[in-house]
Amino acid sequence: MLKLSDHWRSATTRLILIYGAFFVLWGIVLIGVVYWQTGRYLGHVVDEIVEQRARYLEGVERPMLPKAMESTGALDLRGVMSIGLFGADGSYVDGNIERLPDDLPVDGAIHALPNGLERRGRAIREPARGLAQRLDSGEVLVIARDTSVIDQVASIIREALLWGITLTVIPGLIGGLLLSRRPLKRVRAIEAAIEPIARGDLGRRLPVSRRGDEVDMLAAIVNRMLGEIERLLVEVKGVCDSVAHDLRTPLTRLRTQLYRLQQTGGGEEGIEATLEHCIADVDSLLERFRALLRISELEDLGRRSGFANVDLGEILGEVHELYAPLAEDGAIAFRLDAPAGLAVHGDRHLLFEAFTNLVANAIKFTPARGIVGVRVSAEPGGPRVEITDSGPGIPRDEREAVLQRFYRSESGRELPTQGYGLGLSIVAAIVRLHGFRLGIDDNAHGGTRITVDCWADAMTSAR
Amino acid sequence: MARVLTIEDDAVTAREIVTELKRRGNEVDWVDNGATGLRRASGGEYDAITLDRMLPGLDGLAVVKALRDAGVQTPVLMISALSDVDERVRGLRAGGDDYLTKPFAPDEMVARIEVLLRRRGAERATVLRVADLELDLIARSARRGANILELLPIEFRLLEFLVRNSGQVLTRTMIFESVWGYHFDPGTNVIDVHIGRLRKKVDPPGIAPLIRTVRGSGYRLTESGLAETE
Repeated sequence: MLKLSDHWRSATTRLILIYGAFFVLWGIVLIGVVYWQTGRYLGHVVDEIVEQRARYLEGVERPMLPKAMESTGALDLRGVMSIGLFGADGSYVDGNIERLPDDLPVDGAIHALPNGLERRGRAIREPARGLAQRLDSGEVLVIARDTSVIDQVASIIREALLWGITLTVIPGLIGGLLLSRRPLKRVRAIEAAIEPIARGDLGRRLPVSRRGDEVDMLAAIVNRMLGEIERLLVEVKGVCDSVAHDLRTPLTRLRTQLYRLQQTGGGEEGIEATLEHCIADVDSLLERFRALLRISELEDLGRRSGFANVDLGEILGEVHELYAPLAEDGAIAFRLDAPAGLAVHGDRHLLFEAFTNLVANAIKFTPARGIVGVRVSAEPGGPRVEITDSGPGIPRDEREAVLQRFYRSESGRELPTQGYGLGLSIVAAIVRLHGFRLGIDDNAHGGTRITVDCWADAMTSAR
Repeated sequence: MARVLTIEDDAVTAREIVTELKRRGNEVDWVDNGATGLRRASGGEYDAITLDRMLPGLDGLAVVKALRDAGVQTPVLMISALSDVDERVRGLRAGGDDYLTKPFAPDEMVARIEVLLRRRGAERATVLRVADLELDLIARSARRGANILELLPIEFRLLEFLVRNSGQVLTRTMIFESVWGYHFDPGTNVIDVHIGRLRKKVDPPGIAPLIRTVRGSGYRLTESGLAETE
């Protein structure tokens, strides 16, 4: 459920309220200016009319004055004009004004009469503006005009203002609340989706609508991150599983041997042989741990400080020299086609380690009378190292998995030669560190073809 | 009998080192900090030093640097929990003669110390001899008795390393590091195969063999007449 406080916290609501307040303020200012200007103009018009009549009546001959006053009054259809003639002593002579107003100085100038005038036959006194002029005869002529018209205009403007603000602000507020509901709802939906993820269900993702707005962009970013986290966790779990699996075998064998030793002894000769087996088992365990540590060392350490120009032909020559006897013992033809002069920017030791691993694997999985080839070629992007063998090959769907730590290809498992499955992971880590690209496919002999594209790949180096 | 100084702050590791070195007939002194170690080593009466890389106060790098600056040339085996290649380079650059990472096998450690002990003085020779095996380092040629041995360059380097350290146990890692110059575990039996080929040439049937396998550890080149102790 959405609470009012949630609405208030919503960015949309706040924006609309602030905008509304500005709108109201601006409306008041605008209408105030209109009101003031209009009032001023109307007041001016009233003054002009009053003055005009006064000048006219002033010029009329005294005997004609009552007649002229009457005809002037006749023009005033709405009854807003007041005209009165008073004697020098202030007594009523003629016109529709009952008594000479006390607050109107007799100076011929227009003054405001907020209390109005006492009109003949009219009980209500309306505010007015007027003047009092002494005539040549000594009498006083008073002319005034109601200003209630101006007040009416003002009240019309005030009402318009009120309506305008009401009609703008109320729907605005309602609209704001409604608008802020949707993003808030989506935030709640995201919150609901995150809860199971936080509890460990990493398969879940945040809802993304088809609108592709800001919230969706944010959700998509979080989803990408969740995907990466899931991939890493699955990998870690896979590594844990396979480490546990792989270590159990030699540990169990070790225990069996120690147990047998404890039970039977087995004589001087037997003890010696068993202990030797035990040491070999422990060595193989240590070997695996070393390789694992090496991989994590490579993965979290950008060892680019040791980078220099390295001649691939030279390195591969050394690799060939190191492994030629092993290949020969296995009756495998080990061919090297690596001209000198193809250099890459990298770490000599690590590259040697990587190629050593690849060649060792190739020899290990190639049966007698097979072929292992190492070749460097100049591709448009840079040098490519290719290691081919005539072994059983790696099935297409296993190629990605063999790069993961501790993984040994199923077909590899069946071979009598033992492999710890870590070699390729070390290679992958070294290749990744250099920003190179490792590829696995098959070759004409039906065996594996591993390629290392020795140029910094934009995709890889960005990771 | 050689005198070895062990500078190591961890008592368990120290006991391991001292026990193993004593077992092989060395006289061993142990100190547990860099300052005392530097003072004792500066006297120059030791034949070799095992030096922990990380020590409280004065650390291993500083100790070996101070020793070399003072002109003390006693061979130093640096022992460290830091396995990074850069760390190794730093240790050797500071003046260490060899670098071993923890945890280590005692036989590996002793083998390395013995190589260091042997190294003193043997560097300048141009012809190396063990029994009737003769290596001419200038001509890069080798003879066993009257027979000239046809060796590949890599085989010559391997044999040279074995002969220089004759009588010493050499682990596969040590051989790989010294002969090939790389510091990682080649993993497979690749070193064994190289030794096997060399053996065929150096020890043909009918002649007393010089290259022996030391079970569980590595290899040793030794004169035929000597009693095999392993």
